[in-house]
Amino acid sequence: MSIDRVLAITERIIRQILRDRRSIGLLIVGPLIVMSLVGFSLYEQRAVLDRIAPGLLAVFVLFFTFILTGVGFLRERAQGTLERLQTTLVGRFDIMLGYMLGFLIFAVVQTAVILSFTIFALNIDYSGSLWEISAVLFLVVTVAVSLGIFISSFANNEFQVVQFIPIVLAPQIFLSGVIIPVEQMPTLFEWISVVLPLTYAVDALREIMLHGADLSDIWHNLAALAIFSGALLAGAVATLRR
Amino acid sequence: MQATPVVEAKDVTFSYGSLPVLNGLSLSVWEGEIFGVLGANGSGKTTFMRMMVGLLSARDGVLTVHGDSPSPRQAALVGYMPQLSALYQELSIRENVDFFARMYGMSDRRARGRSVEEAIDLVGLASRSADTILKLSGGMRQRVSLAIALVHRRALLLLDEPTVGLDPDLRAVFWERFRQMAEAGTTIMVSSHTMDDAAHCDRLAFLRDGRVIAMDTPSALRAATGRPDASLEDAFIHFLRMADH
Repeated sequence: MSIDRVLAITERIIRQILRDRRSIGLLIVGPLIVMSLVGFSLYEQRAVLDRIAPGLLAVFVLFFTFILTGVGFLRERAQGTLERLQTTLVGRFDIMLGYMLGFLIFAVVQTAVILSFTIFALNIDYSGSLWEISAVLFLVVTVAVSLGIFISSFANNEFQVVQFIPIVLAPQIFLSGVIIPVEQMPTLFEWISVVLPLTYAVDALREIMLHGADLSDIWHNLAALAIFSGALLAGAVATLRR
Repeated sequence: MQATPVVEAKDVTFSYGSLPVLNGLSLSVWEGEIFGVLGANGSGKTTFMRMMVGLLSARDGVLTVHGDSPSPRQAALVGYMPQLSALYQELSIRENVDFFARMYGMSDRRARGRSVEEAIDLVGLASRSADTILKLSGGMRQRVSLAIALVHRRALLLLDEPTVGLDPDLRAVFWERFRQMAEAGTTIMVSSHTMDDAAHCDRLAFLRDGRVIAMDTPSALRAATGRPDASLEDAFIHFLRMADH
C-alpha cells in the first residue's frame, strides 16, 4: 500500500467532483427535495413522522450515497482510466481506499444536509444526542460507499447501475424495519433482514432517537455495520475489474 | 543489437471466450528500434498490446517483456499509451499527467514536477497545460495520453494506434518525436493499421488473424514482392495473398 497513491486518488476525485458544479448542486438539492416531499406530506401527523424519521434518515443516506459512488466509480471504468491505472504501480486496495476517502467526504456533506433538514426543518421530536446519530449515519455512509463500488463491478454502464438500484435498495427499504417492524414480518423475511445492513442502521437510529439509547447500548448494531462495510470493501477489492 | 530481445513472443495464443484472437503469434523486438505491428482492424494488435502490459494473459505460448512475463506490476516499467485516450475530463493536462506520474511511483514533488513539464513540453502542449481535457480536440487528447506514457521515462514504449485521428502535420510531429527517442535508446513498439505509419518503422510485423504473416524491414518487405516500385501497401497485400494460399 502507498499512502501517496491513495491520497493522489482521493485528491483527484475531490477535484473532479468540485469542478462539476451541477453535480455538486444536485448532491445538495436532490436530498432536500425528496426529504421535503416525504417530510411535509406527514407534517400534520407529527407522531408518525417522529416514528419513521430514524428509518427515513438511514434509507436516504444509503440511497443517495449508493448512487453517488456507484455511478462515479462506473465512469472510471467506462472512460478507460481504470484500465490505465492498472498498468501503473497502484494496487487494487489503494484504488478502493482512495475512492472510499474521496467519496466519503461528499457523502458526509450530503448526510449532514439530510440530518440537518430532518432535525431543524422538519422539526422532529427526538431523544439521544446529535453526535451519536451522526456516528451511526457515518457508518451507514461507509457501508453505502463500499456497496456502490462493489455493485458497480457488476455493471457495464450507467443504465445497468440504475437497474441495480431497486434490486439492491428495495429489499433493504421493505425488509429492514423502516415500514413494518422486523418482528412482524414473515419468518423468511425476518431471516433475510439479518443480512441487510439497513436493518442494523434503522434499529440503531430508532434506539437512539426514540428511546434515548447511547452508543454503548447499540454496540452490536455498530459492529454489524462496520463488518458490512469492511466485507463489502473487501468484496469490491476482490471483484475489481477493468 | 543485443542477444536478448526486449519483447519476445513465441506461439502466443489468446481468445475472448470462444473467439480466437491470437493464433500462435511470434515476434522479437530489439533494443532501440521502432517496431511496427501492422494489421487490419480485428487482427489482434490491441489484444497483443494489452497482453504486454499484463492486462490480458496468454492462453498458450511464451511472452516476455524485458525477459519477464508481463504483469501489471512490471507494466509500470513500460510507457504504455492505450488506444482509448483514457483521461480525466474535468482535470487539466498538467493534473492528468501529474496524477499518473504519482501512480507510477514518482513521489518526489519537485522531481515529478520537472518530469511532468518536460513530458507536456515534448508533446507540444506547454502553452495549454492548464486547460481541462474537455476543452481539447481529439488530437490534443492523444498528445496528453502520449505525455502520460512518457512521463516516467521508461526504456520501452508501447503505443497502441498513437496516430489515429491525428492531422498529417501532427502525425509528422509525433513520428519526429518517436525517432528522437529511439535514437536516444528507447525501444518503441507501435501498432497501426495505416501504411503511412509503417514507413516510419525500422522493422514491421504484418498481422493477420492473430498471426504474423511477415516480419522484416520496410524495404525488405517491399522487395519481397518482386516489384521495384512496390509500396508497403502492395507488400501487405502480397503477404495477405501468400497467407491465403
